[in-house]
Amino acid sequence: MAFPKSVRALTAGIAALTLASVLAGCGTNTGAAPANQDTSSPVSGGTLVYLEQQAHTNLYPPSGGFYPNGGILNQITDKLTYQNPDTLKIEPWLAESWSSNPELTEYTFKLRSGATFSDGTPVDAAAVARNFDTYGLGNKALNQPVSEVINNYDHSEVIDPLTLKFFFKKSSPGFLQGTATIGSGIVSVSTLDRNFDDLGNAKNIIGSGPFTVASEVLGKEVVLDARTDYNWAPTTAKHQGRAYLDAVKIVVTPEDSVRTGSLIAGQGDLIRQVQAYDENQVTSKGFAISAPGTKGVNDSIAFRPDNALVSDVRVRQALLKATDTKEVVETIFSANYPVATSVLAKDAAGYVDLSSKLGYDPEKAKKLLDEAGWKPGTDGIRSKDGAQLSLNVYESLPQPQNKAVLQLVAQQWEKVGVKLNVLTGDSGSKTVDNLDPEKTPLTVAMVGRADPDVIKSQFYPKNRDALLQKGGSSQKVKTFVDEKLNTLLETETARTDPAQRLQDVADIQNHLIDQALVIPIFEEPQVYATAPYLHGLGFEAVGRPSLYGVWLDKH
Amino acid sequence: MASGSTSTDMQRYLLNRIGQAALVLWAAFTVAFVLLQALPGDALMIKYQNPDLGLSPAEIQDIRASYGADSPLFVQYLNTLGDFLRGNFGYSVQAGVPVVEQLAASVPATLSLAGLGFLAAVVLALAIAFLSSLSEFAWLRNALIALPSIFVSVPVFWLGIVLIQIFSFQLKLIPVINPPAGLGLILPVATLAIPISAPLAQVLIRSIDDVRTQPFVGVARSRGGSNAWVLSHHVVRNAILPTLTIAGVLLGELIGGAVVTETVFGRTGVGQLTQQAVNSQDVAVLQAVVVLAATAFVLVNLAVDLMYPVLDPRLKRKTGALT
Amino acid sequence: MSQTTLTSATARTAGPGLDGTPRRRRLLGSRIQPGLLLSWLVLGIVTLWVIAPGLFTSQSATSGTAREKLLPPGGGHLLGTDELGRDLFSRIVHGSVHSVSGALVAVAVGLIVGTFLGLLAGSVGGITDSVVMRIVDVLLSIPGLLLSLSIIIILGFGTVNAAIAVGIGSVASFARLSRSEVLRVRRSDFVEAAFGSGGTFAAVLRRHILPNSAGPVLALVALQFGSAILAISTLGFLGYGAPPPTPEWGLLIAEGRSYLATAWWLTTYPGLVVVAVVLSTNRISHSVRKVQP
Repeated sequence: MAFPKSVRALTAGIAALTLASVLAGCGTNTGAAPANQDTSSPVSGGTLVYLEQQAHTNLYPPSGGFYPNGGILNQITDKLTYQNPDTLKIEPWLAESWSSNPELTEYTFKLRSGATFSDGTPVDAAAVARNFDTYGLGNKALNQPVSEVINNYDHSEVIDPLTLKFFFKKSSPGFLQGTATIGSGIVSVSTLDRNFDDLGNAKNIIGSGPFTVASEVLGKEVVLDARTDYNWAPTTAKHQGRAYLDAVKIVVTPEDSVRTGSLIAGQGDLIRQVQAYDENQVTSKGFAISAPGTKGVNDSIAFRPDNALVSDVRVRQALLKATDTKEVVETIFSANYPVATSVLAKDAAGYVDLSSKLGYDPEKAKKLLDEAGWKPGTDGIRSKDGAQLSLNVYESLPQPQNKAVLQLVAQQWEKVGVKLNVLTGDSGSKTVDNLDPEKTPLTVAMVGRADPDVIKSQFYPKNRDALLQKGGSSQKVKTFVDEKLNTLLETETARTDPAQRLQDVADIQNHLIDQALVIPIFEEPQVYATAPYLHGLGFEAVGRPSLYGVWLDKH
Repeated sequence: MASGSTSTDMQRYLLNRIGQAALVLWAAFTVAFVLLQALPGDALMIKYQNPDLGLSPAEIQDIRASYGADSPLFVQYLNTLGDFLRGNFGYSVQAGVPVVEQLAASVPATLSLAGLGFLAAVVLALAIAFLSSLSEFAWLRNALIALPSIFVSVPVFWLGIVLIQIFSFQLKLIPVINPPAGLGLILPVATLAIPISAPLAQVLIRSIDDVRTQPFVGVARSRGGSNAWVLSHHVVRNAILPTLTIAGVLLGELIGGAVVTETVFGRTGVGQLTQQAVNSQDVAVLQAVVVLAATAFVLVNLAVDLMYPVLDPRLKRKTGALT
Repeated sequence: MSQTTLTSATARTAGPGLDGTPRRRRLLGSRIQPGLLLSWLVLGIVTLWVIAPGLFTSQSATSGTAREKLLPPGGGHLLGTDELGRDLFSRIVHGSVHSVSGALVAVAVGLIVGTFLGLLAGSVGGITDSVVMRIVDVLLSIPGLLLSLSIIIILGFGTVNAAIAVGIGSVASFARLSRSEVLRVRRSDFVEAAFGSGGTFAAVLRRHILPNSAGPVLALVALQFGSAILAISTLGFLGYGAPPPTPEWGLLIAEGRSYLATAWWLTTYPGLVVVAVVLSTNRISHSVRKVQP
């Protein structure tokens, strides 16, 4: 029984090293050029295998903000209007035309005829009215919550079977774009008759989209079948009629290396969430990367000034200056992740370039901290009146490589004498602690939506309340209120003149950076990889895949 | 506790054991309830405070009220217990489906994975033990004896990923995505079986060692029994009890323990379900999982307890000592 | 986590001597055992890493040079660097204190609580025995995964808290093992004789039962030490590991796994260290088992 340990260790060592070299061998590779040109003519038929990182949760359309949900909802539901992802213009879809009063408190939509839900019922004014009544007001009896994208909703009125009118308590300039978002997908009345607790079953979601849910294995896969009678794509879309694909199989593959490896090994056709360090491995094998932007608030660190440690604007400015966003992007990411130049992404509505106010300047940071009275202690960490400048932030799981980003920022802040503690935690602790500015003086912020309202979504106390203001989402806040910011946000969201509205958004961005309430880091894309034979992949305005125009070449 | 051999004693013993089993079941349910209530936040908060929904505090408060989330804990406990006794497992707040549907999707997957995994582990352990004992070559013997130690020192997730990299991505033998029915189980079963086989193999190797030194082996061999026959005959008899005991402990463990294999291979299963439900504090799902696991544990252990005396008459008089 | 219970199940079934025969005392140290020696050597080095990591590396384990990210082994970085340019060797050396203390805490929790319960049940017997063992059953019947994750959530994320969770998971095994050992020793002739010659319960427990039941329990301790490191690693894989930038071994393996195809060293080297430590503790556990009465 006394087997020499040396031999054992050696065996293990050899085994591991052999393995390691085998695996290393698959990393380096012949560099074939990505071949994804859409030159040949589309081919119909085939099943697309789409590997998704997470299983979907509740598919009530306003929950479509969660990417795995959006990835399904975008295939099975249509929207009233279509937002062109390139121009961000609103184009007709289920609604042929629309109009509104100058105050933007009434919107009238005229629906196209002939569209049906997959259960055969027509997409008519009554059904659409029921959708927006639910999304705008919620349905307490059925536990259905209101939608984030619809503000000031009052009621609807069916004029005739194809015409309906929406009324708002106050001007609602964001409503038109709101009808184009994933959260406003139109579903049948029978779907909305179900309790919220029954909407996690994909088969219960009846939409009018180009695909329908054929089957589902909870937590593992969803199979979508093309609707052969589909004929109501947005009029501006290149492709019309039924989808090219016969079916789509969405398979949940949580492990990053398995998802990427499966694509390269030919077991999948399309994958979501390719980590930046895997991009080379994917493109070097001839696979293509698509990285649509999310056109909203950048991946950022937001301050909670209610916490005394960061209530001084000089401290916040110092930390803004101490953050080397270029180093973050160069170390952790790739060309698909542009360095942030404002609160909003470059392709977001109302973006202004504020790069002159950002910029890495550690010397300035140290000076500001000195001025604010924070003196370096013996351990290098600054302190003032016995308190250390040691700040907590929770890792945000949906954000790409967030743990690495925060650790690198911690390294950068360490150089100016500030300690950043990166916390990991379960959803419960994270949710509770993130509502308490004393526990989390910082938070990771990011939200995608191609409308100026996105900035209000992120910072307004009655919405996501990233800065935690008094009277907002948390009872723990003692005093902090930014009246100026709130007034700007309220003005923006009720402004009827589009040009003036964009100016408001610019003012908001300037205010947020001048007050250093947020440190923008990079513009967050959604990164997909596709097989060389896959063509025609489209994305809606914030980077959810549209499989309607996808076709598979012979391979 | 129970001893003796009359049939009334046996009945009393049985009733006693069944009563204790029911008690364990209730205690597990209650402990789980208390444990879950002690976690910070709750399912509704995690679901609706989530920025993806962007709900206002007043809206969240309305939803909480509609679920009765703020009623006293004791009332909630009685309601949950009552629902379970009536067979009503409730809904998953996070996934928006009845818990029964989630269980229906994951229990069969876990059972087949765990069952085959355990079987494969037994086969692997037998192979290692017998080959190591019978091999003519010292180097092979030593290599085989070292195997179990190596098996237990490798993290399961690492093993799974490496098996996929080699057999699926490099050699392209077995696809991970949409594999044909039988083929798809090979890698996950191997991932699960390898670490489990290690302790089994160690038990077997030890048993073989013990048997070898027994005088009756020499006698049997002198009467013409082959080495392999004598060993397998006696070793199997000696090793069946430890194997059974491990099986009893394992079954409860496998239900949650397969989570790593399920995650790596993207399979549904009770482990995955549990992990996700813990993260979203889906109490209904977790209570159902606990009741399920505890029932399985109690039944298997009851069966094992009752089988011990049947398998080994020497143990008849100390049944109580085995639980 | 599954391994914790599995290995302990082995020790348990092997330990109590189900065949009812007294354990044979085997010859110890009849020849030099290079394997055992090497095992102690491995643990010795790791102990030195824990006590004086500065002797082995001068580089920081928690902050690196971002430009030097993902460098392969060699050059200025013996085992390469990670995605933030931190030296891997330094992370392994500095990580030893987290992993070793984690494993020790896990074993200590299991040993102290479990052995106490087992001794109580085995020595007192009767109703106490039944109650204690049913409590142990309840512990075993709640899925280990749920138990460990909930405990970590309640205590907060961190190596020591993860270790406590792992330790609580092994309480049941220690309890069952120590109880059956106590029962075995109690039935033996010399204990009966000790009672017969007028020894008090406490005296017999201290003088005879404890020393004679210790062998298998100590063997389980050594085994658990290795599997606790793995169990903590598994928790890291499931996203319940220590917060960054803690360079705990299990976490290094878990987080390095994503780079298996592009930077193999990140998961391979910490993996080899854990393999060496687990093999060593297994080997030592084995030798402990041999010397037991």
